[in-house]
Amino acid sequence: MGYIVPIGPYHPSLEEPVHARLYTEGEMIKDAEIFIGYNHRGIEKLAMQKNIIQTMVLVERVCGICSHSHALTFAMACESISGIKVPKRGQYIRAIIAELERLHSHYLWLGIALHIIGHDSLFMHSWDDREIVMDALEELTGNRVNYGMVTYGGSRRDISKEQAENVLAMLDKLEESNKRLADFLLNDKTVALRTQGVGVLTTEDAIRIGAIGPHARASNVPVDVRIDAPYCCYDEFDFQKAVWPSGDVFARVVVRVLENFESIKIIRQALDSLPAGKINMGNKVPTIKPGEYMNRHEAPRGQLSYKVVTNGTDKVARVSIHVPTFKNAPTVPTMLRNNSVADAGLIIASIDPCFSCMDR
Amino acid sequence: MQEYRKISITKDEIVPTAERMRKAGVILAMIHGYVMDDGRINISYEYQIDDRIESYTIEGENVLPTISHIYDEAAAWPERELNELIDVTFEGLDTSKRLFMPDNMLDGQGQIFVTPMDELIEKVHGKKKEE
Repeated sequence: MGYIVPIGPYHPSLEEPVHARLYTEGEMIKDAEIFIGYNHRGIEKLAMQKNIIQTMVLVERVCGICSHSHALTFAMACESISGIKVPKRGQYIRAIIAELERLHSHYLWLGIALHIIGHDSLFMHSWDDREIVMDALEELTGNRVNYGMVTYGGSRRDISKEQAENVLAMLDKLEESNKRLADFLLNDKTVALRTQGVGVLTTEDAIRIGAIGPHARASNVPVDVRIDAPYCCYDEFDFQKAVWPSGDVFARVVVRVLENFESIKIIRQALDSLPAGKINMGNKVPTIKPGEYMNRHEAPRGQLSYKVVTNGTDKVARVSIHVPTFKNAPTVPTMLRNNSVADAGLIIASIDPCFSCMDR
Repeated sequence: MQEYRKISITKDEIVPTAERMRKAGVILAMIHGYVMDDGRINISYEYQIDDRIESYTIEGENVLPTISHIYDEAAAWPERELNELIDVTFEGLDTSKRLFMPDNMLDGQGQIFVTPMDELIEKVHGKKKEE
């Protein structure tokens, strides 16, 4: 006889509200459904009431973790409509903050995943490393969240030589620490027992359902906007897509640890070769022409898409925000099937969900 | 700059285009919709082809065929979202459950974008927003 096991919307193993309904037989999940919308704030509707400068501030607050990604993608879409060219130094600074944000998001997720599997010492190790990244972000932007580094036509703040040197020193420390963390994660028996073969998403299913970002790369789907459709001078940096074939929770851990190394590599290259010149348009007020454009950015959790429609007024006619979790959440029922109820929390968390982003 | 190309299509071309894209392994990045200044609805299917986006756009149609049988949840969720936001119906789409809107709020379809802000606040909180 089967039972329906409800998880959420508020549950100790979930960081944010979502409701999953598990159809079980004994300990095994035979089918599942996922329900969203508990954080819906109507941000897209609100954006249509604000002027374009206010909208930039608003979209940065869609999510506390990938706030820079939202502001960056929105700005890129507006700049594309108006033909605004961002100075190279401004683009490098945007990429540096984006990569620091990716590092902090990946360490945050690794910590949560390790906490869920009961490995609290590695959880603290991961969050200890995250503090280095948060310090670097604070050094460069003055904030630990909502950095406010993006403005139309460039970056809001410059990076001084002294700041660059401080961040480079932090990166040396972080790289050593990440090597130690990678060694633990890839060889620890507890991590292997709780993650290998759990919540498998095959390559075929990942493509069929439309998974993106690290979640797709962990199922051997090599998608990464930074390489596939470069922006912010990403084509000038030497880095690789982190892809892993097994498609289980372990693969998602490995991909994120490998991506941490790649992000450190990108930031180091960007800081070492930061071009001279302007970082933005100065005091010039941008004119937003009527038009529409869609831009994509590889946010920490995957491809973030913004489609902006403008009508020549100071307001946007429509801002459409498609976030990675909106793409990855539909894969959860497939991953939950034929796993035990005890692993449900870990499998839901393994997509690195951000329901705040998804519900908007 | 990432390339973006807008292509106007008719309602009848939606399904054949989706089938062609699916067969070619193209990712459906987004289904986007809004109400234009003249009150007509604009729906666009954004396909991600290598480094560019091809935006297949339909204007002035309130009833469209679903492509959820071709792109599974990658299409079903955005279609359900648009169904709640604006007055558009996707024929063949299962809309028996809400995606974002609470079960007890409004009638569940085409409400969020077309209802004036004050009216929405009044319906949610039971009173008009105080100035």
